[in-house]
Order: sequence, then C-alpha cells, then structure tokens
Amino acid sequence: MTQSFVLRAEQRGFNRIVSSGATASYVGGHPDAFVTRWSSFNFHDYQEGRPGFGRIRVFGDETFNSPGCSYSMHRHHNFIICAFVLAGKLMHLNTLGNVEELRPGDFYVFSAGSGGFHEELNMQSEPMQALYLWMLPDRLLLPPSYGSARFDPAAGNNRITTLIGSSDDAALSMPQDAKVSRLVSSTPGTYRYAMKSRAHGVYAFVIEGEMRCDAALLGRRDSKAVWDADEVVCQTGTGTTDVLFVETIM
Amino acid sequence: MIDDALKRWLCLGCGFSYDEALGLPEHGIAPGTRWSEIPEDWCCPDCGTPKLRFEMVEIAYAPGQPVIHSAVRQ
Repeated sequence: MTQSFVLRAEQRGFNRIVSSGATASYVGGHPDAFVTRWSSFNFHDYQEGRPGFGRIRVFGDETFNSPGCSYSMHRHHNFIICAFVLAGKLMHLNTLGNVEELRPGDFYVFSAGSGGFHEELNMQSEPMQALYLWMLPDRLLLPPSYGSARFDPAAGNNRITTLIGSSDDAALSMPQDAKVSRLVSSTPGTYRYAMKSRAHGVYAFVIEGEMRCDAALLGRRDSKAVWDADEVVCQTGTGTTDVLFVETIM
Repeated sequence: MIDDALKRWLCLGCGFSYDEALGLPEHGIAPGTRWSEIPEDWCCPDCGTPKLRFEMVEIAYAPGQPVIHSAVRQ
C-alpha cells in the first residue's frame, strides 16, 4: 500500500551557524559571515526529525551569507555529497584537485569514498543558495570521485530531466541505486513520475512555486516522500514551478 | 536468534566508518572491539560527532578495501 509523508517548509530543522566563536573553524568568513541551513532530515544539532529517506541522509537548503562565508576545508569518507546551486556563486575546492565556480543551474557529485577534503565557499557579496544532498554509497571506501554539470531550465522546460543516475541521459552518475531529476514547469501540466520499482521511493522537494503531488498541495520548500507505489502524479499550475526529485532504493 | 557478526558503523557527520573487525589501533581501539564496548562519550576521530550519531550499516567494501595499515613499516 502506498506510503508517504509531507514535510512543510517550516517543519524542517533550522540552524544558523556563525563564523565566530566555537564554530569559527567550521564556518569561514569571520566575523560577519554565517550559514543558514534548513534540514529535511536529522543532521548535526537538529535531531528531532526523520533520520533520512531510503539512502538519503542529508537534505540541506542552505544559504552562505557575506563574502568569505564557507565550510572550511574538512575531510569526508563514504558519503556521496551533491550540491545544486540555486543563487549566487559557489566556489568548490577539493583534494582531488578540483577548483570550480558553480553558478545557478550547476550541480556536482563528490563521492568521498576512501577519503577526500572539500571546501564550499562564497566569495561574493550576494548570498549563495544551494541544496546539499548526501547519500549513502553502495560500497564503502570507493575511490573518491568528482564531477559537475549544468542544468539549463530553458532546455529542460516542462519536462522531468534526469541530472544524476545510471541511465544514458543522466549528466552525472553516483555509486548508489538512486536518481536525481529536476522539473521546471511554466504552464499547467501533469507529470507522472514512475518509480524504477516498488522497492524505490521518491522524495520531491519544491524549490519554487507550487504543485499538487498526488493529493497534497505543496508550496515553496515543501516536500513529499512516496514509497510502496508505482508512480507519483504531479500537477503544476500557470506559474513557474521548480522541483527536485530524489529517487532512492528503500 | 542473536546476530553476533561483527558490524560496521558510519559517522553521520562526515562518513568516517568504524569496523568492529578492524578496530582503530591508531586510536587505541583493538581489532574485534564491539561498538557497545566503546565508551558512550567517544567521538568521531575525524569530525568530533558523538558516538550516538553513528549508524550501523550493512554495506560491503569496494574492491581492494579495506587496506590494513601495518604498525610495522619495512
């Protein structure tokens, strides 16, 4: 039987992490910079929500405020870390040797595997907004990897575009039975998102606008997870709707 | 039935993995040390996340892993 939950924007965890005091080594850009993070799932100090969904462990809706605001260079293992830039410019640096400026529409997949450091940095006055997605990998201690690509909303308008996955049309892949897609819609439409199997679930996050997701009406930054189902039926309206879908083995 | 197989645990702060079979000899934890035997105030050696925010995982290793670092260097 189909199962689901709806997570409203304001029901997510919220943290404001300053670049001074105890968190100065975590968040760079002292004294004025700060990160705001809305967490869909339990992460760091936010532990009152859900632990994750399928192989998703982190889904952060984050803003880096003030020039120099960053997560300072730090190490990861195993997690597949993805970022989707929504506004501003993100400078990503990692110890695989990548230094890259990502703009709205750009996204990356950094699989930390057997170990890799990264820094996430906003060098501009304009706030940088990004979605951060962390997935468990299908193997521990894989060789670390990094790749980036661009989603062009004009080219992908009014259809669900695969960004990350194992199919040929995906710009990037990740070492997990998972797929990330994006829908930007500007006219009323019905989109049927078919799951790979009934053992897969999908987490739909509304970046902008609103849509009906099966019976639920979702507004900006609302989200819904559906599993034990064959498909999710999404209906958009006349305004612009921007949605990220993360499908994962459950 | 009691499942007494050695388990793996993943830090939810950074992804550091602890394998009961391997322990962490470089941090004074001998191979074979059960997760339950590690003090409750223990933290991730990489990022400082507390023990209670680790998750038990049943994920196999990538080919060639884990690499065991011998304490004795030639």
